Amino acid sequence: MHAAWIVKHKPQTLSEVVGNAEAIQKFTEWARSWDKRIPKKRAAFLHGPPGVGKTVCVEALAKDLQMELVEKNASDYRTAEAVQRFAGLASQYGTLFGGSRLVLLDELDGITGTADKGGVGAITEIVKAAQCPVVLVANNAYDPRFSTLRKYCLLVEFKKPTVREVMKHLKKVCVGEEINADEEALKFIAEKSGRDVRSAVNDLQALAQGKKRFVYEDVAWLAERDRKDVIFNVLRTILYSKDSWEAKKAVDAADMDTDMLFQWVYENVPYHLTDPQDLAKAMDALSLADIYRRRIRSTQDWSLLRYVLDFMTAGVAMARERTKPSGWIPFRFPEKIQWMSRTKAEREMQSAIGMKIRRKCHVSSVRAVKEFLPYIRIIFENNPEMAAGIARWLDLDETMVNYLAGRKG
Amino acid sequence: MSWELWAEKYRPQSLDQMINQTEIVERLKSFVEAKNIPHCIFAGPPGTGKTTAALCLAHDLYGKGYREHFMELNASDERGINVVRETVKTFARTRSIGEIPFKIMILDESDNMTSDAQQALRRTMERFTETCRFILIANYSGKIIEPIQSRCAPFRFSYLSREDHDRYLRHIIQQESVKILDEAFDAIFEVSGGDLRRATNTLQAAASLGRVIDAETVYSVIGRASPIDVREMIALAMKGNFIEARQRLREMILKYGVAGSDIIKQIHIEIFRSALPDQWKVKLAGAIGEIDFRLVQGADEEVQLSALLARLTEAGYELKRGG
Repeated sequence: MHAAWIVKHKPQTLSEVVGNAEAIQKFTEWARSWDKRIPKKRAAFLHGPPGVGKTVCVEALAKDLQMELVEKNASDYRTAEAVQRFAGLASQYGTLFGGSRLVLLDELDGITGTADKGGVGAITEIVKAAQCPVVLVANNAYDPRFSTLRKYCLLVEFKKPTVREVMKHLKKVCVGEEINADEEALKFIAEKSGRDVRSAVNDLQALAQGKKRFVYEDVAWLAERDRKDVIFNVLRTILYSKDSWEAKKAVDAADMDTDMLFQWVYENVPYHLTDPQDLAKAMDALSLADIYRRRIRSTQDWSLLRYVLDFMTAGVAMARERTKPSGWIPFRFPEKIQWMSRTKAEREMQSAIGMKIRRKCHVSSVRAVKEFLPYIRIIFENNPEMAAGIARWLDLDETMVNYLAGRKG
Repeated sequence: MSWELWAEKYRPQSLDQMINQTEIVERLKSFVEAKNIPHCIFAGPPGTGKTTAALCLAHDLYGKGYREHFMELNASDERGINVVRETVKTFARTRSIGEIPFKIMILDESDNMTSDAQQALRRTMERFTETCRFILIANYSGKIIEPIQSRCAPFRFSYLSREDHDRYLRHIIQQESVKILDEAFDAIFEVSGGDLRRATNTLQAAASLGRVIDAETVYSVIGRASPIDVREMIALAMKGNFIEARQRLREMILKYGVAGSDIIKQIHIEIFRSALPDQWKVKLAGAIGEIDFRLVQGADEEVQLSALLARLTEAGYELKRGG
């Protein structure tokens, strides 16, 4: 049920591959030329950044041309012998039934270290003698190790697709998953991935799976994701360190926003400090950290920040006394931050109405939202006549009226 | 037909119309007679007439064109230090034309100003005393810095008595020809606790349902406007399911915008209504009071209340062990 979307929605034919039209054409022409005679270059060397569709192209081409694909990757190149084994198997002969065969050597970058000595040399020999098309795939074809090999290969460069092209693919995936997705949300993912289709599709799955509608607010928090590893390390130290100094130090290393880190700690504490007494102590430490945050706000004295940090790091770490160690517990993304980004549009609407109320009722817009809005909503849901009068009086526009009456759009 | 929000429509225009805070009103009236006012702090809970008193004072002092002579700033919306510097200065420095030589600056929700902004305000207040008098409105005067407090005449507003509360509502009911049962007044007072803004909003929302207002109507309005269900949340916490309890709390605060102060009030009531041993009630009252105090200081509602929930989880655990 939860197959990886990157596999489930993999392009089945070359026409479905996003971007790189030129490269694909060059590659196809070369592959077709084998029908007439063995071309001068017996291998095509597909190179370019990760996640741009190199391997996918080879697979789709094999399908389009009805060739048998023999695939090898990094682990098969370890030694010269290993390479020889499949070389003999794959590149010397045609298939038993007269069809044609395509040999794919993927992840050539993976050949490293002494264990692979001779690996590249052996591949060069295979290419020189190949009786069927051989395709090499690597991120960087200009690595000095490949200098000899390169001479025998048709170099085909794959470039990053455009944001539009990545979006097009994401949209196709969404259609397949019956998700109604906003352009803006897809654009954000496409950009965020650095135009890496694989990572974009993985992000899409993580964020949109199980949803009917997928909007910008669902992805806005992704902006933080780059920092995920950093955050996880800090969290691990805070929640599991036995040393108060070490817990405090973790934050220096992270160089991250205190409020953001606070949300992460606050979210995760109850999952990791399960003993009720430890939990109460840790939550009290967070409560004190929060008090100092408030004091900083009102005094603007940022030297108090050290106490915020003390409580949210060492304070939480030292709360662990009785909780028994358990297996691996995943860290959770702060729900409040997700909630804030999900409800951004709604809160903006409320605050716009708050501004209208403020003009008439001598309260701040913040307080208007809290103290008037819930009652106004009841009026709008139940009494159109009274609602119309209030709408006129407050000078509300149509979208505001619809919002208050609980109507969409 | 003209419909407005009743909380505004029935706001008293002149000190004579104010039904509560009689001592304060008397003193303010004496200012009007003397045609002079000091800087003032109006402190007290929401919905007790602080802003109204300031507006009425300005109205009675200047008469018809009173809007020319005062300015209202809300510190929650524009609390920056620059606003105080610029807006307040520009307004305060020019002399008022007319019989009364000063203007009035009403700074609402001024306990939300940073202390830097308050310091700047203090200097402005001193420099322009001749041309401008300040009325600072706050829920907690304690959050206003000492040097400002010492320059202001303090006025302490308190919740309305049941009698005043009902009198005010009855006036509205008469004007709007609302049909209501007496039991509804009990219900409204129970939830408003003498906060007239909340009482009036509740009344109007109940009236919008278009039927005779009884206690049940009031409760259903409250339930929808501010759905506080602490009983189950407390039970979850005490059973050891802190995570689920926190989830309930979040829903109340984030989704429904229920005020933290209302939630803690309800928790306090529930703990004493519960079947817990009496020593525990007292012990927990201490914990609740401490968290309430932290809330008053302006700390984050969700963080503070979930710290309280964690204490309840701990209490539940110790009780089970027979502690």
